[in-house]
Amino acid sequence: MKSLNEQPMITSSALVFDIKRFAVHDGSGLRATVFFKGCPLRCKWCQNPEGLSPKQRPIYFENSCIHCHRCEQVSYDNQITYQNNRPYFNLNYHGNFDNLIYHCPSNAIRYDSQPYTIEELINTIKQDEVFFKQGGGVTFSGGEPFMQGQYLIELLKRCKQQNINTAIETTLYASFSLIQQALPYLDIIYVDFKEFDETKHKNFTQVSSKIIKEHIQYILESKYKDKVIIRTPLIPSMTATDDNITNISKFIYDIYPEVKYELLNYNPLASAKYSLVDLEYELPQYQKFTPQQMQHFYDIVLQTGLKNLIKEGE
Amino acid sequence: MELVQTKRIEVLKEKMLNEPRYASIEQARIITRVYQENENLSIPKKRALSLKAALEEMEIGVEKEELIVGNRTKGVRYGVVFPESGCSWINKEFETLPTRPQDQFLVRDEDIKEFREVIYPYWQGRSMEDVIMERGQKDIKSIEKVVKINQKDHAQGHICPDTALWLKLGPAGLRKQAQEKLQICREDQKEFYECVVIVLDGAITFMQRYHDYIKNMILDVEPAYQVTLQKVADNCMNLSIRPPQSYHEALQSIWFLFVILHMESNASSFSPGRLDQYLYSYYKEDKEKGIIDDQYALELLECLWLKFNQIVYLRNQNSAKYFAGFPIGFNIAIGGVDENGNDTYNELSLLCLKAQEHLGLPQPNLLVRLNKNTSHELMQAAIKVVAKGSGMPQFFNDEAIINTMINDLNIEEKDARNYAIVGCVELTTHGNNLGWSDSGMFNFNKVLELTLNHGKCLLTNEQLGLDLGSIETYETFENLEEAFRKQIDYFIDKMIKGLEIVEKAHQDCLPSAFLSTVIDDCMEKGLDVTKGGAKYNLSGIQMIQVANLADSLAAIKQLVYDEHMISKHELLESLQHDFKGHEMTQTMLLNKVPKYGNDIAWVDNMGAKWTNYFRERMKDYTNYRGGLYHTGMYTVSSHVPMGENVGASPDGRNALSPLADGGLSPVYGRDMSGPTAVLKSVSRMSNSCTTNGGLLNMKFLPEFFETQSGRDKFEMFLRAFVELEVPHIQFNVVRKEDLIDAKIHPEKHRSLTIRVAGYTAYFVELAGKLQDEIIERTTYDNI
Repeated sequence: MKSLNEQPMITSSALVFDIKRFAVHDGSGLRATVFFKGCPLRCKWCQNPEGLSPKQRPIYFENSCIHCHRCEQVSYDNQITYQNNRPYFNLNYHGNFDNLIYHCPSNAIRYDSQPYTIEELINTIKQDEVFFKQGGGVTFSGGEPFMQGQYLIELLKRCKQQNINTAIETTLYASFSLIQQALPYLDIIYVDFKEFDETKHKNFTQVSSKIIKEHIQYILESKYKDKVIIRTPLIPSMTATDDNITNISKFIYDIYPEVKYELLNYNPLASAKYSLVDLEYELPQYQKFTPQQMQHFYDIVLQTGLKNLIKEGE
Repeated sequence: MELVQTKRIEVLKEKMLNEPRYASIEQARIITRVYQENENLSIPKKRALSLKAALEEMEIGVEKEELIVGNRTKGVRYGVVFPESGCSWINKEFETLPTRPQDQFLVRDEDIKEFREVIYPYWQGRSMEDVIMERGQKDIKSIEKVVKINQKDHAQGHICPDTALWLKLGPAGLRKQAQEKLQICREDQKEFYECVVIVLDGAITFMQRYHDYIKNMILDVEPAYQVTLQKVADNCMNLSIRPPQSYHEALQSIWFLFVILHMESNASSFSPGRLDQYLYSYYKEDKEKGIIDDQYALELLECLWLKFNQIVYLRNQNSAKYFAGFPIGFNIAIGGVDENGNDTYNELSLLCLKAQEHLGLPQPNLLVRLNKNTSHELMQAAIKVVAKGSGMPQFFNDEAIINTMINDLNIEEKDARNYAIVGCVELTTHGNNLGWSDSGMFNFNKVLELTLNHGKCLLTNEQLGLDLGSIETYETFENLEEAFRKQIDYFIDKMIKGLEIVEKAHQDCLPSAFLSTVIDDCMEKGLDVTKGGAKYNLSGIQMIQVANLADSLAAIKQLVYDEHMISKHELLESLQHDFKGHEMTQTMLLNKVPKYGNDIAWVDNMGAKWTNYFRERMKDYTNYRGGLYHTGMYTVSSHVPMGENVGASPDGRNALSPLADGGLSPVYGRDMSGPTAVLKSVSRMSNSCTTNGGLLNMKFLPEFFETQSGRDKFEMFLRAFVELEVPHIQFNVVRKEDLIDAKIHPEKHRSLTIRVAGYTAYFVELAGKLQDEIIERTTYDNI
């Protein structure tokens, strides 16, 4: 289990592995979603495996490669080994990989993330200001945004100064004080509550659900409770069980009956990015749940008395 | 109550789509005869008499289900051979019409024979095309790889007539006006008014012939149709003697106007313009009287919509490549501000959208004018039609267009607020403008190629431009830019000479009396529209293609001059060899420098700088009618053939391959930052550069529109588009698999329409290469 002390406390810059403009599926209106590097959880179904490690690393896109051997020619000190007509990175190499990235003509070699100062990130976000004005804003996601917590709080303050609507997608697996500091600057708070059973939670995510539950309870009892949307990703044969959905629904309903709750359908494309970071996707090929199956889960939620259920596509 | 598409409309649509499409020489035969019989008369008189004869003699037809009647040939969608403007290409291509790759027509052997033996010989040396060849072939040909001068063998078109005036006066009222003028006019105006009377006599007869035709057929149809046909016959007779007095009559009157305009000019695009505005009083009155309800009003409107699909334009093989899928440009603009600047829309605007939703055909070319105060209701109704995927409606931005028209073109505020669209995306004022919007296309990318290579064509090694050096001899990037500027100036000068030759030939060969009756101030001035009778006389040049230009210049600046990643010698050599043996260089050009369309200011401005320069230079010239030159940024489908003129380019594009599509759009596949970044990049182009029209293509997946939340977000996107003052945007909503399947099984997708560029065409009727093109276009995937 990862300890909370591992969170980097640097505030001058943060590692961002993607900024998706015109994100239309999370939060109100047209949004820009910033994906922060690093996550304390290791969910078996993670869709963004490149966001797990808090460190920057080079990655290789086989489809872009023209196999020109340029990287082999410009590398030094065992930065790479060139085998099977492609480079393999020596991730224990202590320097950077700038030379490889600069010289790769097709951008088949890239860093998985880029450092952004607060100023740079604010300016990037503001590029879409005209769209936010119609209803929308910025969403901080990851990884776990609280992994770069101090930076995040500074950034949130700056966004509010600029009148930009802010949303976060978090596991709440973070230090309580960081969460407390961030709350006043957030307009929409998506909290992933994946699994109720502690043993299963540890098995699926490698961390305990204890502090997640505590933080959910805190937030749903706070004055920010109406900004919260609890979400459960439906993973076949894992989180998508009647028991789990019942338990989670009851738990949050008991704290705050008006709580908003959303069930996320399984995304079969989750495995797409694993090969980039030399990881294996462990789950078998599942399909999305059908509308009928989704309705079954909705019915379970509604039976607990919970009314504010957000359905797929709403 | 949900408005439905009636059985009548279904039947008429099916009949229309099943009709074989022929090339027709019927009108050519009439025109030739009238010219031969009247050799001693002036060309304006011969033109007027031959139109009158066509209106009196052309075979006509009516379907028993029709509520709106009239066509320029008896068969629907016939390609009309039109000798006055030019037909040497038909002489060359007649036999290939049924089998050519784009826009095929069936032919009859006896027609080919008559054309070759009687018609074509008469027009040799007489047609406008031959006149232009004689006067300027050398000049126009010497620049054709760089500047395409248009309208060399057909009339201009691209005109929005004063339909409101036509509805108010009708042919009889206009004829009376011309006769009154004849009593008091100067000697030099006399011929003009005489011609007007001749063509209006023809128009009146034409309407009465439809009345008579229906009276003859009425006894042979089932009683159910006799009642409606009687009404249609009465309408035709009424309109020949007085202006329309009902909504039904007004629709019929509008259609007669456009049929006759096409019979006179055989040109692409006459636009009804703001139909929801000038038709509204007829609709409202009939509805209040209880003569019509919305369902019937819609059925009548859909009858007119079908009619807009029955006239196509016969182009030569090369032109069909540039303007694929018979674009004929019946543009209808709904919404937008009124003459006081207030947003306006009405029940008819919504009915227009409903008709489009029902029929999903390529015509009319429907568009919505947006502004800051556009209502949620109109937006949502329009978005629902966008979601259908026919590429319509397209959207124009009052905030980007009106003020620029006033400031840059000296157009009066009330005219600017009343703007409409012609052709594909070309801007015009309503009813008082000969905009000559398709004058020419100026290919920046070819000029850059010549600048980099001693003025020599990379494809043929021919000396086409000035030898100012090459990329190897320009010390700095600024030196290169200076040479580029000189090369542009050189071709502008040559282009203007070519344009003047063409405009003068139109005045000499194609005076248009009928059109002049519905373009203010021709009747007042007693001056034909081709001679400058219109209130506004513009000429529009299209700048081709800013996306490739920006990408090329950015690549040269960053990779060659700033970072020395590629040597000057290597760049030139790789271009000369179309990157063969220089794949690494091409890969770097494609990947190691940012591209236009990703919201990166310095790259976007690389293009904007030159479009601004060109636009400024146009202020140094006046066109042949005494009006202003201005510019547009749209290519229709000509990014494909224009690309065939250009060798390998520094943006990494291979020789002969297409340029970016649209006009404002990024090169497809290079816009990696999503639609908001595209809009931001495009908004860096000055609106002064697109007073003749700009075109931005985007493609969304249908999933986006399936939920109300998706449609709401689309509305937000459109409102940001309005705020960013981008002049135009249009959307395709299609699944890739649909298109691939349509290519393999065209018979299953006969009515699948797709936005090609500024217009919508039947996908299965497009050439295979263009189909592939469309399949490859960027898709905004939000799964």
